[in-house]
Amino acid sequence: MQSLADLVVDRPGDFRVHTDAYVSPAIFELEMRRIFERTWVYVAHESQLPAAGDYITTTIGTQPVIVTRDTRGVVHVLLNRCRHRGSIVCRLASGRAAQFMCPYHNWVYATDGALISFAQKEGYPQDLDRADLGLARAAVGTYGGLIFARLDPHGESLDARLAAVRRYIDLWNERSPHRRIRVTQSAHRIAYTGNWKLQMENGVDGYHGNYVHSSFMRIVDRAGERPVAAFTAVRDTGSTRGLAAGDGMIERPGGGMAGQFDYRDPRLASYHAQLAAAHGAERREEILGQRNLLIFPNLFLFESHIRVLQPVSAAQTIVTMYPTILEGVPDEMNVARLRAHERFFGPAGFGTPDDVEMFVNCESGLRAHAVSWVRLDRGLHREQLNDGEPSSHSTDETPQRSAYRRWRELMRTETVV
Amino acid sequence: MTRDDAERFLIHEARLLDERRFDEWLALFTADCLYWLPIGDSDSELEPSIVYDTRTRLEERVFRLNETRAYAQEPPSRTQHNISNVDVEAPPDDGPVTLRCHLTLFEIRVGDASQAGLGVPQILAGRCEYRCTRGPEWRIARKTVWLLTRDQPLANLSFIV
Repeated sequence: MQSLADLVVDRPGDFRVHTDAYVSPAIFELEMRRIFERTWVYVAHESQLPAAGDYITTTIGTQPVIVTRDTRGVVHVLLNRCRHRGSIVCRLASGRAAQFMCPYHNWVYATDGALISFAQKEGYPQDLDRADLGLARAAVGTYGGLIFARLDPHGESLDARLAAVRRYIDLWNERSPHRRIRVTQSAHRIAYTGNWKLQMENGVDGYHGNYVHSSFMRIVDRAGERPVAAFTAVRDTGSTRGLAAGDGMIERPGGGMAGQFDYRDPRLASYHAQLAAAHGAERREEILGQRNLLIFPNLFLFESHIRVLQPVSAAQTIVTMYPTILEGVPDEMNVARLRAHERFFGPAGFGTPDDVEMFVNCESGLRAHAVSWVRLDRGLHREQLNDGEPSSHSTDETPQRSAYRRWRELMRTETVV
Repeated sequence: MTRDDAERFLIHEARLLDERRFDEWLALFTADCLYWLPIGDSDSELEPSIVYDTRTRLEERVFRLNETRAYAQEPPSRTQHNISNVDVEAPPDDGPVTLRCHLTLFEIRVGDASQAGLGVPQILAGRCEYRCTRGPEWRIARKTVWLLTRDQPLANLSFIV
């Protein structure tokens, strides 16, 4: 196996990632320890937990957790593992609970994780300290409705982590005149054979659209909405950007990315007026620009949805797309946004399955590991630095490089600096 | 409208899909049809579906399969739609007829079987409900399929269920 520091080659004019980073189970395990279990990862949206006792189950890396809202309204992220013999204490995807009871020996936990009781307590000393026997907790931080958790008790604050990306989270939320977005109850879920980083790279990839989505472009052309040539022209506009901490984005200020609702449609005049009244006319123009935003390692903010990556193994990934509802706009607009989302995204959309096919193709192709390197050097020769942030043509691999620089930094260090 | 009639109709539909006669399949639907694969229990328009095809969108789905380079269908899916548990509910007046059945769908994409995604059958189960209009030919006004796995992580569903 390649040494950890050498898995990413980052030199002038040269940027490569070693095949092992995509296929090695040992590297996958290390990614879980050094990336997912050490940094802030996205776990839920606040709108999934509107009331006391609401919970959802998910994973931090591959570790099962429960995200709960306790009776005082405080959000907790609890390891879904009984402190006695290790059984899961919550089996459902979501719900409302007064408490969590381990089914094995009836140990009962409050929604903040505290141990309330256990069966046949005479089997333990009377002075057993229950304070230490609650469900283990991760650190929790919330920004703009997004709930993040960090398993490592030590590390930077969420505020510090999101310093560079915060302004784009704000712009994303401000598509709602009330600055409030909620997710729908149902979501699109996809399982694919392939490494999680294949989806991570693709979500900010402006290079593949003309080819992988030729089917979608022809459908839109046939509908009289936009000719294929106009679509491919859009792919020459905008830029890619790498942000601090592994984040990055593809940005098209004029809009027009595949599968996205057209916010510039003049028929939305009253919405445009609402945005100007809420945020100012100048700010509105920035808000309406389209961005696919990667918040490393497992979160994307898309115009129509929140996308969450769950690594399962080196070769298995689950992706969930939570469509969003903008608060404060007419239902018709949210319905139109949702139908536009379904047309492209999800397991039966006219875009997502073609993307997923590329992940699966890469998974199969990467088995030819006699070829050592995956190239992510596109656009290095024309990349610009603005205030320390690299940006480049919208088809360049600038955001992917940002993610892999952070990936390498985390993977090569045993403790966070 | 006997159960025999219903079965014949459903078997015909399955054959059209399995033989990739998508234009003929599309012709089974009314001009204001809905082809719907829900995820949750809600029928709110403010919830997403796996598929929520009006006639226009359904025509796009068929166009995608017939005319475009959809990589998720390269190589294309081979399907076998198996129909069972057929039930028919025909009101005595001329109102729409409701057909219900169970679907077991086997799907496989054939190519280099050593590659991920090829050579391994996918099995889907679903509960179907058809709202059909009467006339010289039955037409489907609404087809709904509640997949057993509808709210679970799903693989490539770029063929027609």
